[in-house]
Amino acid sequence: MLPAPAIFHFPWEVQSGKAKEGDSVKTFGRLLTYQAEESRATLAAQHAATQHQVVVQTTFVEPFEPIIGAQYLVLGEIENAESGGVIVHARVLNCVDGVNVALLQKAINVQRTYFEERAVGNCDIATVAHKSASS
Amino acid sequence: MQTEARDPEKESEWEEPPSMLWGLDPMFNAFVRLYIKDILQMRESCQVPGIYFYNSHPIFKVDVLATVVYKREKEDFFCYGVDDGTGVINCLCWKNEQWKYQDDSAKSGAKSLGRSTHGGFDPASELRKLQQAQYSSSNLDIGDVLRVRGPVKTSRQQRELMASTYYKVSDPVMAVQISWMLEVPRLYRQCYDKPFQLEKHAKDSDTQGTSADILLGRATRILKDFLKERVVTRFRPYDVQELLQPLFSSQPQKTTSEQEPEPGPSRGPSTSSKHLKQLLLDSLQVLQDEGLIFRKVKSQDEVYLVTEQDKNLLMAIRDIIKEDCQREKYAEKGCHVLHVLSSVRQRYSRNVSKAALEVALKALECNSDIISTSDSHYTVL
Repeated sequence: MLPAPAIFHFPWEVQSGKAKEGDSVKTFGRLLTYQAEESRATLAAQHAATQHQVVVQTTFVEPFEPIIGAQYLVLGEIENAESGGVIVHARVLNCVDGVNVALLQKAINVQRTYFEERAVGNCDIATVAHKSASS
Repeated sequence: MQTEARDPEKESEWEEPPSMLWGLDPMFNAFVRLYIKDILQMRESCQVPGIYFYNSHPIFKVDVLATVVYKREKEDFFCYGVDDGTGVINCLCWKNEQWKYQDDSAKSGAKSLGRSTHGGFDPASELRKLQQAQYSSSNLDIGDVLRVRGPVKTSRQQRELMASTYYKVSDPVMAVQISWMLEVPRLYRQCYDKPFQLEKHAKDSDTQGTSADILLGRATRILKDFLKERVVTRFRPYDVQELLQPLFSSQPQKTTSEQEPEPGPSRGPSTSSKHLKQLLLDSLQVLQDEGLIFRKVKSQDEVYLVTEQDKNLLMAIRDIIKEDCQREKYAEKGCHVLHVLSSVRQRYSRNVSKAALEVALKALECNSDIISTSDSHYTVL
């Protein structure tokens, strides 16, 4: 069976509760720490002068060679952690060190804007159709 | 800006464009870079299975760049589940026949490898290296980026891609993925989300000019062919009017009536015959402008003379050139076209245009009656 599509989230959106438990997400960040015995990695990203962290469960993607400080792209499911907060249970964890993070953020935003516009367009058409049907 | 498949209200109104017109949509022949979400949701044609509609665009092959999140290997093919962040779809990727023999060739490879170390180029081992490279670029693992192109199939109620080409994309810094993410929304805005409306184009007032031009072009072509074939020397408009009739009977009445402005004299015939008259006038004007025909006398009786067939005109021109070339002024270089023109207008007819004169001069020159000494001077031997 195919898994659910992993939607791009910014690292600061993962912790903020925008992503619910069980959602598939794709996000990125610098590898801050890796605890091999717990299979737990922490990614970090700067946004609006604060550092946001994403905890990643790496059991599915081991063994992997952690490069501390490198950019990683993670794709996986959101799970609620025992200690509170959420962790991403990774299905894919790729090192993408050297990625143009600003451009990546722009690309994510471009794609989101497009889908938002399309949703708005659909709503307009639906309401117009509804109005004309009722009148 | 909507996909019909997602809009239940439109479901009942949706009507497929006729399959005859599909090929006119440029998207039909393109590998369309749709989001997987849209590939999964687009509506399948009820006329031809395997054809899908996104926003009334007929589509049958797509181009996808996505991350592999699922993999199954069979003897003959790989099945990759790919995820582009909007949806997940299976891709059926056939293995190359040659890889089957890879094991055998690997064994014999050891022998030939020993030979190639003696120096020189060994095509067999190079070919094997190439096959290995091909194999590694088509054998992906979860997390790799796959680029796949091919038709969309629906089997057991599930959409999947039949890869006609596929390969592993080496994208260590996500440059390819980012540029793809930036490009696709642009493609959607510029093409995919704009509905393709052929009928509207045909009726559009902007394109009427061109369709009227096409009609005029056809009409003049018919007249030219007729004049040439029958060696016509002179005719009146009503003699040739019925030649243009077929152009109108093949055209729907409605579009022609919108096409051209009303002609001046209206004696109350049907619009179709009015337009036929107007078209005839227009095409005769074109022929006159090209100098193929002219009117010797402008009177009530509209007689057109065919320039090349007007013996009197040709003779008059020849005489003028012959006489004037004996004058000292023109003896050396011959007569200039404009001099001939003014003489023809004085002697023969005031209505001969420069274009008609040029046509006549060309005809004379072809018969070797006159000779051009430069591009605008003529003489007689």
